Amino acid sequence: MGAIDLKQLLESQTLERCPFPIPVGWFFIDYADTLKPGEMRNVFVFDQEWVLFRTESGKPGMADPYCPHLGAHMGHGGKVCGEHLRCPFHHWEYDTAGWCRHIPYAKLMPPQTKKGPILRTLPMVEKYGMLWAWYHPQCEPPSFELPYIPEMEDPTGYAGTRRGTWTAHTCIQEIAENGVDTAHLKFLHGAPAIPPVEATYEGPIMKLDIGRGYIVGTAYGPGLNVMRFTQQGVTATMISYSVPITREKTQMNMSFRHVDYPEGSKELAISKKLIDHMIGAAEGEESAGFESVDFIVWNHKKYRPNPLLCDGDGPVLQFRKWFKQFYPGFEPAAQG
Amino acid sequence: MAVVRVTGRDGVERRLDATNGCALMEALRDANTGIDGTCGGMMSCGTCHVYVDADWLAKLPPKSEDEQMMLDAIGELVELEPGSRLSCQIQVSEALEGLSIRIAPPV
Repeated sequence: MGAIDLKQLLESQTLERCPFPIPVGWFFIDYADTLKPGEMRNVFVFDQEWVLFRTESGKPGMADPYCPHLGAHMGHGGKVCGEHLRCPFHHWEYDTAGWCRHIPYAKLMPPQTKKGPILRTLPMVEKYGMLWAWYHPQCEPPSFELPYIPEMEDPTGYAGTRRGTWTAHTCIQEIAENGVDTAHLKFLHGAPAIPPVEATYEGPIMKLDIGRGYIVGTAYGPGLNVMRFTQQGVTATMISYSVPITREKTQMNMSFRHVDYPEGSKELAISKKLIDHMIGAAEGEESAGFESVDFIVWNHKKYRPNPLLCDGDGPVLQFRKWFKQFYPGFEPAAQG
Repeated sequence: MAVVRVTGRDGVERRLDATNGCALMEALRDANTGIDGTCGGMMSCGTCHVYVDADWLAKLPPKSEDEQMMLDAIGELVELEPGSRLSCQIQVSEALEGLSIRIAPPV
């Protein structure tokens, strides 16, 4: 019998599944057409409830539910009044940036209301037909912008209405790590070989090339990933936009787009097959997409901060180092 | 404990025992001088405005930026004087023995 390395043998007892806070970034909240001017509803993301609303002029807003005055939940009985969210309790009103703009009975507006926002709100943009919110644990303003995605934004040239939503019982970092874990593509997905991967990192952007041009992807922070799959000169695009619901639960959302090839063309058939393969099984492909194989691992694994990696594994540690920037102010608990 | 001289809105002067460590606002509020102190010391309501006698002004700690902002807001409704202070920002101590103030008009 060999030496007993207790630290190694017992480490899993103290491991957590997702030892991370909610990361910084732009995150998908909902499709833009689900929120009309003047509407308001409660949503649960980033480990808490928020009041999502749209002003009469059409500006989206997302606010902490609890009124800074006396703590009423504005998503229960509050309403949109013009450009403001109004608390039901005393009709204090807030704009989408969290400034208190009206107190109907005060002779003097408290000076605090003139210095800055008193209600936490999230910066929002509407892009790709979706509502996006910027999350930062210290409420700092956006440090990067969402990119132009021709497949989603150009009025003509692209097609495809396929989109889906999946729930993964893990955090975004763990899901995204699969992008650099190329060995799992062979063994979990059943790819014929371990594809080569090249990853480059610049600020909040990570670029991945898997299989020498087969999958070329760009991540814009933790909340948006654009991956282009190319086969026989035909490219189809997977736009992936995940949002943390809690620290251990992620809603994965994806839209699939392709060039608007004519009906019945070979290129259209390849595009559709590529998209089938992004998600699950596809005709003529041995390997499986994420839907059929990844969840069983994501939903049950624990995060190993000190993984035992071997040659042939992908650049997992470089990926983790890059991802750390999305946890400002967070120091992981000492391990072991 | 400090004894403070308080001139009310009716012009009558009275002496008030104020407990050390408390905000002067609390002593004035609890003695029914007309001071409300609604916000409890957050400098957000402007209902504890007093005029401090000129002799005493320099002996008090200086105003913070937030106190000045609230006083500026009060000034839109009530006359300010050089001795205008928020009594919630004045901590009672032995050093205040004999402090003389007037209760300002309500906002």
